[in-house]
Amino acid sequence: MKERSLLWRLGPLWSLVVLLVIVYAVTVVTSYLGDSVQVQFQYALVNLVIVVALYMFIGTSGVLSFGHVAFVALGAWTVGLLTIEPELKRNLLSDMFPVLFDIQAPWFLAIFIGGLVGGLLALIVAPVLMRLNGLQAGIATFALLLVVGQVLTYWSSIGPRSGQSMVGIPDVLDLQTTMFFALGAIVVAWLFQRSRPARLLRAAREDGIAAAASGINVVTQRVIALALSGLIAGIAGGLFALTNRVVQASLLGIELTFITLAMLVLGGMLSLSGAVIGALVFSLIDLVLVRLQNGVELGSYVVSIPQGTRPIILGAILVLMLIFRPSGLTGGREIVWPFRRTPPLPGVPPTNE
Amino acid sequence: MNQLIQSLVDAISAGATLGLAALAIGLVFGVIRLANFAQGEIITASAYSIIFTWQLGWYVAIPIAILIGVILSLLMEVGVFSRMRMATPATLLVASFGLSFLLQRVYELFFGNNVRTAPVAPELAQSLEIGGIRVQLLSVATIIIAAVILVALVQFLNRSIWGLQLQAAAADFRIARLVGIPASRVIGLSFALSGILAAAVAFVSTVKTGAVGPPFGVPIVILALIGAVIGGIDKIYGALAGGFLVGFATSMLASWLPSDMSNFRDAYVFLLVIIVLIFRPSGLLVRGGTVRT
Amino acid sequence: MATDEIGLVVRDLTVAYSGVPAVRGIDLDVPAGHAIGLIGPNGAGKSSALLAIMGAVPHGGSVQVNGEAVDGLAPERVVRRGVSLVPEGRHVFAGLSVKDNLRLGAVGRRSSDGVAETLDYVVTLFPILAEFRDRQAGLLSGGQQQQLAIGRALMADPDILMLDEPSLGLSPTAVDSVFDALATIREAGKAVLVVEQRAEFTVAFCERTHVLHDGVITMTLKPEDATNVQVLTEAYFG
Repeated sequence: MKERSLLWRLGPLWSLVVLLVIVYAVTVVTSYLGDSVQVQFQYALVNLVIVVALYMFIGTSGVLSFGHVAFVALGAWTVGLLTIEPELKRNLLSDMFPVLFDIQAPWFLAIFIGGLVGGLLALIVAPVLMRLNGLQAGIATFALLLVVGQVLTYWSSIGPRSGQSMVGIPDVLDLQTTMFFALGAIVVAWLFQRSRPARLLRAAREDGIAAAASGINVVTQRVIALALSGLIAGIAGGLFALTNRVVQASLLGIELTFITLAMLVLGGMLSLSGAVIGALVFSLIDLVLVRLQNGVELGSYVVSIPQGTRPIILGAILVLMLIFRPSGLTGGREIVWPFRRTPPLPGVPPTNE
Repeated sequence: MNQLIQSLVDAISAGATLGLAALAIGLVFGVIRLANFAQGEIITASAYSIIFTWQLGWYVAIPIAILIGVILSLLMEVGVFSRMRMATPATLLVASFGLSFLLQRVYELFFGNNVRTAPVAPELAQSLEIGGIRVQLLSVATIIIAAVILVALVQFLNRSIWGLQLQAAAADFRIARLVGIPASRVIGLSFALSGILAAAVAFVSTVKTGAVGPPFGVPIVILALIGAVIGGIDKIYGALAGGFLVGFATSMLASWLPSDMSNFRDAYVFLLVIIVLIFRPSGLLVRGGTVRT
Repeated sequence: MATDEIGLVVRDLTVAYSGVPAVRGIDLDVPAGHAIGLIGPNGAGKSSALLAIMGAVPHGGSVQVNGEAVDGLAPERVVRRGVSLVPEGRHVFAGLSVKDNLRLGAVGRRSSDGVAETLDYVVTLFPILAEFRDRQAGLLSGGQQQQLAIGRALMADPDILMLDEPSLGLSPTAVDSVFDALATIREAGKAVLVVEQRAEFTVAFCERTHVLHDGVITMTLKPEDATNVQVLTEAYFG
């Protein structure tokens, strides 16, 4: 009995360990599957960090955000500006403010600065955006995404001219380092979801009136959640810049927003396990589909699917998931052990399955 | 003076187009709380059909475009949204977002990434001179088309028993069912009307551009959705007015912003939207109360 | 116990909201030409019972209309079997005219014949509706809106008319005119089920009045009990 209650108390920590082990194991396995798989999985880990950032906000507050990719974009922009050689910047990004030509930072530091910039934008917009709920919040955050996208596309004083992209980002980030960032993001999200602001937000999400009556200032808690998740999203942006090594506003817009939201929905937006599992499962399906699109030899047969069907299948998965299992693969629960699940976190409404 | 009137006519025409698109979104939202982002792909489907069939004559192309708009709209309802009746508006928005992405990829698969072109109603692409003032014939035609559709729609909503049922359901869906108004009928009706409106938007937009690609409807639906929300999406006329306002503002900014700033016109509009949402979350034209979400 | 007679038969009706019971097994018989009352404090389950009969909330037990089960049917289908509900708070379509509200009521009819006759009947019952036919329903007074709500329900030509707190928020004269109309409707052979807070009034009006407490019927009163203060007090607080 005693052992069981100990396990019970360690449950939440255990769920963190399980997630870390899963991410680690999948990374190790993919690193043996050849260069192209490795590269693709590095993108998957970047997306995983974005999804974890989305979870930190959407999962705890219950407020929809289409705007997180704006924070990602700022992070990517910052890392691009800080890591491209000054000479290259003078030549390629000649319209920029002169001061931007000479600012440099080591890439590792640049990632964190990118995170701070993303978090700063979140902190600035949060006090006004966080008063909104439901559909209005969705539209307002969407408008934020579009504003940031327009500014980054057209304002050549802080980047390339419209239609061009930032190139010359150094090739320094490998799969293993990316994985450590992903593990770090998971740990931060786990710590956050056990913190006081996150618990208050979950309580407010479940029963807004009761929460307001008991004096919880929902707006303040949401601002904290958005700023912190903006920070993680900014870091993910930096990872994206160093992984893709080309940064352009059009890469960091509606499509990335859709992909990452789809990952979160697939896993279940009310648990950290949902965010991580959703990102991994989605990416692995995508990996398989890419293989299939290129043709896979099975004995003497070549199995392939037509070009262009990959995103269709991914879109269909999202829509079907929303229809048949709106609470996601994990149903809003944390994984404690592959065979057992914890009850939902306090504040999680009953799932209707 | 001349330039002012030209830009006003263009802005009213842009507003009329977006007003119709926002009205399509508002009609559906009023009944089932769905802000349908995939409305853009209905517009795209109708636009493709106009491009492909225009050579057969307008009297063939336009009915086909309407038919395709209505069928695709109803298919979305039957295939996806009717299975999500218990979902929150936010979840429905995400689902329609996914559906929009999915359909764009389907269009890419079938019609390719490049735009398909055809001169649609080239006779409208002229200038018209009225009392020494030159205006785009297309802008005038768009305003007339929108006005005709609006008058017809208002007559339908206010006079016919079907239109009244739709209004009743939009006012209070639960009570409407208790009175005996069949849910599936009004929901189907709202989707069918939004399909017709999509075809109208597709027509004026294809005349303007003459080219249609997979993301054709996306910029339209983004502005229309935003307009609907700031106008008051759960009031049919609120959505219409909000869409008009956004289209009007975007067009005026494009005409009058200095050229080095005109790239940012959408950014200004979106900023305006955020400001409106903060001060009037339930919509500019809705008195008090909050949107039922 | 099936019956072919016109009227409403409810057996062992239960309603629960996310596991919390609101109605816990009630039986009702509302024959044609009768008015049956349902009284009880707030939260006793009166409105839930009416909504369950309409199919607007899921229920256990059975509901028969004119001898046929209507369990599991959507509200708009139940209306077409001959049951109309005048909802609590009236809920007329405020933005539409009086005439259009009545037209919408006719959507739920079993047959499209005889709409004009029903309309005549309704405006004879409530002449004010003819006078204000083009006025926006939202501009009517509370009593007039209640008349419109009843008229709208009657336009579906129901055999069974259910009313949820028709006297709520009305002046005494308006209450009188509503109950006068209900008496006429009952005489015309309709079955009337009325949920009320005003015990004395309801008990006097109805052939039988059931007292509902915590989802169960605790007592059934006859018109002669209306003057018995002790019984009424007991019915409410007992």
